[in-house]
Amino acid sequence: MTQSNEPAIVIRGMNKYYEAFHALRDIDLTVEQGERIVICGPSGSGKSTLIRCINRLEEHQSGDIVVLGTSLDDNVANIDGVRREVGMVFQHFNLFPHMTVLENCALAPMLVRKWSRARAEEMAMQYLEKVQIPEQAEKFPGQLSGGQQQRVAIARALSMQPKVLLFDEPTSALDPEMISEVLDVMVSLAKEGMTMLCVTHEMGFARQVADRVIFMDRGEIIEQNAPEEFFGNPQNERTQKFLSQILGH
Amino acid sequence: MIRLWNNLKLRNTALQVAYVGGFVALVLGMALVARANLDELGIISGFDFLFKSTGWKVSFSLIEFTASDPYWRVLLVGFLNTLFLAAIGLVLATVIGVIVGMARTSSNDLARLLGAIYVETFRNVPLILQVFFWYAVFTRFPGPRQAISLADGMFLSSRGIYVPGLNITGLSAFLGIVVFLAGLGVIVWITAAQRFRRMEPARKTRLRLLILAAAALLMAAIFWLGRLPDTPLVSIPALKGLNYRGGVRVSTELTALAVSIAIYGGSYIAEIVRGGFKAVGRGQIEAAQSVGLSAWQVFSRVRFPLALRAMMPILTNQYIWLVKATTMGIAIGFADFFMVVSISINQSGQTLELIGILMAGFLLINFTLAAVLNRINRAIALKGDQLRS
Repeated sequence: MTQSNEPAIVIRGMNKYYEAFHALRDIDLTVEQGERIVICGPSGSGKSTLIRCINRLEEHQSGDIVVLGTSLDDNVANIDGVRREVGMVFQHFNLFPHMTVLENCALAPMLVRKWSRARAEEMAMQYLEKVQIPEQAEKFPGQLSGGQQQRVAIARALSMQPKVLLFDEPTSALDPEMISEVLDVMVSLAKEGMTMLCVTHEMGFARQVADRVIFMDRGEIIEQNAPEEFFGNPQNERTQKFLSQILGH
Repeated sequence: MIRLWNNLKLRNTALQVAYVGGFVALVLGMALVARANLDELGIISGFDFLFKSTGWKVSFSLIEFTASDPYWRVLLVGFLNTLFLAAIGLVLATVIGVIVGMARTSSNDLARLLGAIYVETFRNVPLILQVFFWYAVFTRFPGPRQAISLADGMFLSSRGIYVPGLNITGLSAFLGIVVFLAGLGVIVWITAAQRFRRMEPARKTRLRLLILAAAALLMAAIFWLGRLPDTPLVSIPALKGLNYRGGVRVSTELTALAVSIAIYGGSYIAEIVRGGFKAVGRGQIEAAQSVGLSAWQVFSRVRFPLALRAMMPILTNQYIWLVKATTMGIAIGFADFFMVVSISINQSGQTLELIGILMAGFLLINFTLAAVLNRINRAIALKGDQLRS
């Protein structure tokens, strides 16, 4: 389906409306395979909406979104195909509370990839080890701390062996002391070459791993650049204001 | 040193003693008054009357019953009729409730509107009026000779619905149905119990189908063993003179009550189902979509299991309420437990004993129902207290 040098995600002239509200305006964005992108911007700027369009949790009204060579349109097979290859990690974890940690991770590989339970659980255990909580495999999400739940959510996304991972403010709902355990996992994924799009306010993470930082405001991409340039020499007035607000204290 | 009245433990103990003492005195007093009144009226209390023959017949019975049978047997007839009506009514109410409740949560405007009209219509009219309404409707059907034929061997008439039946003994019919229901119970157990969690989904489905098939086969075998000699196994109703012979007659009263309970109960259950689905977090559904689950898998693996957990406690309450609603039978003359107890009181004068039996009977049904549903509720309850949505 995708060639090795083909971009992972191509978005061209994409617009998204909520009724009369113009949420995303003429978005053009190309993400290469293995690229790590951090999206930041003020609240309500459309960052989450943008990455939610990439796996069709939100429908766009005009323009094209092509993910790993598959165009996102009204074809259910295309939507399912994209979701199989694109994992997502949510702000509020969204684990399945009626299943154990292991079942959360093994469910989709069994149902969607048609793996046997043994194979799916073996793979799931590998990813739980990667996020450093294999000992919690038989517990239920409600019995874990926020940081542990978010790491399980990352393992659940990884268990489908996705080619692209989307992170929607993964540390915003966590207590401060749990943020680093989640960021550590994300950093190690980035180092292994996973294609990642992260909506986050963790600017330290952006400096450390991002290939490109994108600033959004009022539904538009205002500025994008490599982290050194982006933080050291922001071009747009709104970017400067935003950065001075979040880095200023 | 604390003053006596200010000592918390002492005060609680004193209140307990006073409460229990007062309760015992009240019950004792009532029993003594009742005893004195009964003596004055010359009524001999006790349960001997249960073994005297009744001298009257009932309109609908699942087991053999004649006027010379004793009281305990007429009470059993009523008890079984109530169970039968409750079983039909609850199952139909659940089916209607799930369909209407899903319609009310759907994204289709027309489905939502129809669902809302259904709920508001049938929830807001008193049950007894609905019973009278459906009874009036079903008794207006043409008589047996002009009966409406629904299908081969199925007729709708003012005397009831005639359907093909089996020429088998009452005992084998009862045992066969119990075996089949037990099979369904095992399937529910496999679905909910911890010990089957780790089984392969495909194997689990196969096991459930196997048990279903085994239960059905066993039921058929029991029916076959219990067939009446010298008659065909299947009995098809046929017009003989002024009425139908053969087959099974579902009486007009039973039909009207089952339909009323199903429609009225369905409107309440629809709201419970709607509430259950509304309680499922958007986030869990999005997570299920994002890992690539199909629409059906999202529903069957995430949305429905979570909605069911939100519904169970309220559903238990509603089912118990609906079982008690079967006592509407007395309004249109269906021989349910409440009605046979009422007639028995009139005929035998053993008021206290019979009311005791009535209360014990309903307690038995509803306590069993609540115990089973609470057990399921506990088995599937979400674990942990760190959930966010």
